[in-house]
Amino acid sequence: MRYDTIIVGGGLAGLVCGLRLQQSGKKTAIVSAGQNAMHFSSGAFGLLSRLEDGTPVDEPLTAIDRLSGEHPYSKIGSERMSVLVREVKPFFEAAGIPLTGDESRNSYIITPTGNYKKVWLALDDMTLLGGSDSKIGDKILIVNFKGYLDFNTAFIAEGLEKRGMKCRIESVELPEMERLRSNSTEMRSVNIARVLDGGDAWKHFVASVNRMITDEDTVILPAVFGFADGSLIRSIREGVRVKTVFIGTMPPSVPGIRSQMRLKKAYELSGGTILLGDQANSPVFDGDRLVSLGTVNMEEVRLEADNFVIATGSFFSRGLWATPEKVLEPLLGLDVISSESRDGWYDEDFFSPQGYIGFGVRTDNGFHPMRGGRPMENVFAIGSLLGGCNSVKMGCGAGVAIMTALEVANTISSSR
Amino acid sequence: MNRQEYDVIIIGGGITGAGTARDCSLRGLKVLLIERKDIADGATGRNHGLLHSGARYAVTDSESARECIEENMILKKIARHCVDDTTGFFISLPEDDLSFQATFVERCRQAGITAEIIDPKEALRLEPAANPALIGAVRVPDGSVDPFRLTSSNLVDARLHGTDVLLYTEVTGFIIENGTVVGVMTLDTRSGEKGEYRGRITVNAAGIWGHGIAALAGVNVGMFPAKGALLIFAHRVADIVLNRCRKPANADILVPGETVSIIGTTSTRIPFEECDHMQVTPEEVNLLVSEGAKLAPVLESTRILRAYAGVRPLVASDSDPSGRSISRGIVLLDHETRDGLKGFVTITGGKLMTYRLMAEKATDLVCQKLGIDAKCVTRTTPLPGSESSSIEEAAGKIWASPTTAQKATVGRLGDNAGLIPMDDAYSQSLVCECEEVTVGEVNSAIKHLNVNNLVDIRRRTRVGMGTCQGELCGCRAAGLLARAHGCTRKARGDLKHFMRERWKGMYPIAWGDTLREGEYSQWVYSEVLGLNEE
Repeated sequence: MRYDTIIVGGGLAGLVCGLRLQQSGKKTAIVSAGQNAMHFSSGAFGLLSRLEDGTPVDEPLTAIDRLSGEHPYSKIGSERMSVLVREVKPFFEAAGIPLTGDESRNSYIITPTGNYKKVWLALDDMTLLGGSDSKIGDKILIVNFKGYLDFNTAFIAEGLEKRGMKCRIESVELPEMERLRSNSTEMRSVNIARVLDGGDAWKHFVASVNRMITDEDTVILPAVFGFADGSLIRSIREGVRVKTVFIGTMPPSVPGIRSQMRLKKAYELSGGTILLGDQANSPVFDGDRLVSLGTVNMEEVRLEADNFVIATGSFFSRGLWATPEKVLEPLLGLDVISSESRDGWYDEDFFSPQGYIGFGVRTDNGFHPMRGGRPMENVFAIGSLLGGCNSVKMGCGAGVAIMTALEVANTISSSR
Repeated sequence: MNRQEYDVIIIGGGITGAGTARDCSLRGLKVLLIERKDIADGATGRNHGLLHSGARYAVTDSESARECIEENMILKKIARHCVDDTTGFFISLPEDDLSFQATFVERCRQAGITAEIIDPKEALRLEPAANPALIGAVRVPDGSVDPFRLTSSNLVDARLHGTDVLLYTEVTGFIIENGTVVGVMTLDTRSGEKGEYRGRITVNAAGIWGHGIAALAGVNVGMFPAKGALLIFAHRVADIVLNRCRKPANADILVPGETVSIIGTTSTRIPFEECDHMQVTPEEVNLLVSEGAKLAPVLESTRILRAYAGVRPLVASDSDPSGRSISRGIVLLDHETRDGLKGFVTITGGKLMTYRLMAEKATDLVCQKLGIDAKCVTRTTPLPGSESSSIEEAAGKIWASPTTAQKATVGRLGDNAGLIPMDDAYSQSLVCECEEVTVGEVNSAIKHLNVNNLVDIRRRTRVGMGTCQGELCGCRAAGLLARAHGCTRKARGDLKHFMRERWKGMYPIAWGDTLREGEYSQWVYSEVLGLNEE
């Protein structure tokens, strides 16, 4: 099978890159294993919230020039970054994923543990706040489903009360949830979302919430609505008689999975091919060019293309693999930025920045990955597979995925 | 100031202290047990969890072997709900001397340990995970035991019989009057509150920390900390305990424990300062994996969940304080006859396996000093939870048709499972999917089992001990703890502490799937929850 571009990896980076290439008239295919990091996303994207030395960043675009040369944003350059950043909201909107937030400034999101976390843009389920102490209201009613343990109402209440909001916690017992509750493993976000998606369960829920409201001006709900159809979010907001704020749950993330499904659908509608549940393997090289890939499911068929984009993610998605001795890129054997001895991989304190998070594939300034010290001509690496930035410390994981995907798609579509 | 006078104050909430508290209270004594951290926090909770048959010591230490087999048979009766009667194999590999097997079997039999030579093919049929190159196998009555549950059950019974328990309380000094220990001074490490408790006899059962406790009383017990590192593998790779049939060496025991397997151990002398901050080194990990793979080759490719280490309290013989000659058995010191200090006793050495015997000996001495004539009944009296003769019987008493989660609960708690609310759907919701721990069980532990934090809950219920190592269930349990204790700020701190503790066991072996799990936790706790920022 021959395509203009083959993309390996169906997470945020792979899908954004594939969709943008389809939009520019290229014929592409994505090899996707299935689950990816979007399934436990917070519902928000980070672009840059800290510099490498830990300095907090409020206006990400003004800070690009202060990053080290290895950071993917430095390779794109601050001028191109400013252009790309403005393309993000329309791009996602067109894919059926409306985003909220100001592109030029970081905002805050309330996390499932009631922390305020600095983010850039968010899915429009979520409510963004201007400051690290901003209130969402004065009197808050936090409502959960009885027996649902992945929405920690006590933690959220504590986080809000610390910031001067008064909170009350209630839980709703819906007859429609009875079947879930009778099985001890079923009260999880996706199952709840499915129940709410069908029939009138959500209306009963809204009615219960309205009965519970006394003098509260704001209601907080777990973000488990609108799994298949995001319009349920609007219906809930219209139905609840005070302001409604959704806060994320412990994984899996309903808004995250929904946006991944939307992105995938938009890609398919644009004519792209997804080889789902498959894994690329057995590369054939010609000097510094990649000629073809095989896959696990299609034994005899080879995937050939002018260009290949590797968006296989980091360790979690197996884009990178660690043995006791070293860190590898298992698909093509690309060069990896990592520390020699295992001492440099970790910090003993879980909550301190971990060296291994910054490991990844080494590329030239055009995101051509290095193999045996030489850049590969027709291969690009994007997303969290890339080395050179500690995305957890710097809050740039989603941003790197989106920006490198758009940048590489632009490079490929403008060539020849 | 506490005016009450106890008959006995026991220092140490490991299995020895808990067992001694139970024995003393069953003999009618009024007991106070003081533990500086949580129960089973020291060596008790940091070993294989092997229910020794004694075979391991048959050739080198016949006295220990005899003690082990006797206690093995007692525990299978009185602590049924803590024991998994797996049996064990001692396998000989081509590089081992097969003539050792004959001596081994002979010595086992002399010690009263059933030891049956089985054909290598038959051994591999019974335990397919064993090294296929084995040239000999001997079956012995080894098993596995849950040290947390055993300690907890002993304390539950002690409390039922009037024992007071102070956790997170450190002994800071002794009250000594006229050459007699008459009490202890304490510090509550959570509140900073100081206390004084008076007791007619004080028993030092603090394991390796007993060295420092003795020093506080002005006497010297020559101890040597010996670190033993172990690894937990993510599957129950073998259903039978696997040992090497040779003189005891490093990493030659593989023990199945619930859903996981444990390989160990190493033995390294360490300075006292390291006892509270042990780290497993890359060399130890490498040794454990390569030696372990000789018992069960599949270990080489099995994911490692955690690395951890315990400290054995080795005791120098009084005749040779240099430490070259070490007492391996039970050491009971009467400081009145030994050092002229009345009212103070040290019980140390020994093993998890022989805790009941150690408790019996210590309690005999205490009773003798107090002039009390009361017989030990712990040889035959079942621990709370083991009154029924089988898990099926215990489960059947509580539910008409128990679910898998309910059976798992009975497996952990025996008859005590009946105390756990399970009648409504909410109580039956699973907190921990890997280990099938319910809301009811966690809430019950919080209510009845002296729980202070999330790590305490893990010890008592196994929440977070399975393959995911707690990244989601830790958060769920934190929510329950916040509600039960009415303090969310503390639960939040506990959650962070829980994740830090978990990572300590992961980073020495963080490659492959363990590193993947680590990255996932980083994303959840930092990216999604933002707990790294506070």
